[in-house]
Amino acid sequence: MTCSCSDVERLLPELLDGSPEDATVETRLAASKLDAHLKSCPACSDLLSDLKLIASEARQLAATEDPAPRVWVRIAAELRAEGLIREPAPMRPIIVPTSPGRRWTSVAWWLAPVAAVLLAAGSYVVSHKPAPQVAKKQAPETAPAAQTPATSPAPVVTATSSSSGHASAPEQLAQKSAPPARLAAPAAESEPSAPDSSTEDQQFLSAVSTLAPSMRASYENQLQAVNADIRETQAYVNQNPGDVDARQHLMDAYQQKALLYQIALDRIQ
Amino acid sequence: MTDPKKGITEREAIEQAQQGREAAFETLYHLHKRRVYSLCLRMVSNPAQAEDLAQEAFLQLFRKIGTFRGESAFSTWLHRMTVNVVLMQLRKKGLPVVSLEETLEADNEAPRKEFGTKDVRLTGSVDRLQLQRAIDRLPPGYKTVFVLHDVEGFEHNEIAQMVGCSIGNSKSQLHKARLKLRDYLKFMRAEKAKTG
Repeated sequence: MTCSCSDVERLLPELLDGSPEDATVETRLAASKLDAHLKSCPACSDLLSDLKLIASEARQLAATEDPAPRVWVRIAAELRAEGLIREPAPMRPIIVPTSPGRRWTSVAWWLAPVAAVLLAAGSYVVSHKPAPQVAKKQAPETAPAAQTPATSPAPVVTATSSSSGHASAPEQLAQKSAPPARLAAPAAESEPSAPDSSTEDQQFLSAVSTLAPSMRASYENQLQAVNADIRETQAYVNQNPGDVDARQHLMDAYQQKALLYQIALDRIQ
Repeated sequence: MTDPKKGITEREAIEQAQQGREAAFETLYHLHKRRVYSLCLRMVSNPAQAEDLAQEAFLQLFRKIGTFRGESAFSTWLHRMTVNVVLMQLRKKGLPVVSLEETLEADNEAPRKEFGTKDVRLTGSVDRLQLQRAIDRLPPGYKTVFVLHDVEGFEHNEIAQMVGCSIGNSKSQLHKARLKLRDYLKFMRAEKAKTG
């Protein structure tokens, strides 16, 4: 006696998920009858194949998505606030003696000031009407910090590094105490522009190239995405200067990019 | 499991996290973030919500890390905690974790299987993006069981315990979820063929 299509419907869950050890005598008998039916019924055979395919493909969906970098930032902040992290925040020296194992420091220190500039630029576009033609003229002023290290140290790290003793040479101390020329007057008379992304992004990519391949790819993707967001939103804001939501979105995008730089700095250190 | 960048094992990271070292917490986060975030995203189909849930799952884990003694696998502990965080959120929002109605519903509500008739097969391959979209369309009750079983690999007895239903109920919901997915995927394939 063979089974019918409705028997297949009833037995399919057991066939797909039941382990052979758990199978009852009835199920085993039914399974053998079922085999005969499947050979003669293309519809039931196709159904079984499709459901097996869906179940197997679903496994490929596990662990495929990366959370945004901000998730770790928020977790770390909460852990600190709750006292679960019981060590001081890591020092961020501006100038670290170069050694073979720490070559990255000479590449990465510029990330903090760049992040600050991005935030300043983001703040500016939210609070001022855009003037793209002026912004283009100002682009050289935000040349990469790495090209002028002596005059633009990272203000956010100067206080900690000056007391940390990482830089002992007099000229290094002098560099640290020098005012951050570019950042000291971020909203001068002329309009500040977003950093020259092509150059600074190259430096960012160069800095993260020291990381593990998966981590590097993640940073590259994030940078690509946030740049695309900034471009699109900037274009929209230029056409719709009165759109407050769009300006806020643009600010968020700049903040996201600044955060990305900051996270990269933390990770590389 | 070893963090490729820092070169420390998960066990070492757990011990150091128990002493409050930030780098150890971060190592554990990076080792498991994909799995945790992906699980949250599959369950709620909303990236912003998924981020919040992943954050909450890690925070709950890190708050209790002092009690972890290694009797069970760390990843198992974390993933169960993640599931609980997500299910709690679904319950708070009034979404059915597992739907009694869906289990008892008449066959006319279930996807039509057209037994005994010629049917279009999925022809041996399923696009990942399409499958994800189809999962997003599943009713919450079906989605929960499908994600936990077929994506995350939990057994029916574990799912039954976590979501608070019978094993039979879990099996039934899974089967109906797969049938619905098959219909969605075939529909998407047909739409795609029409448009392009």
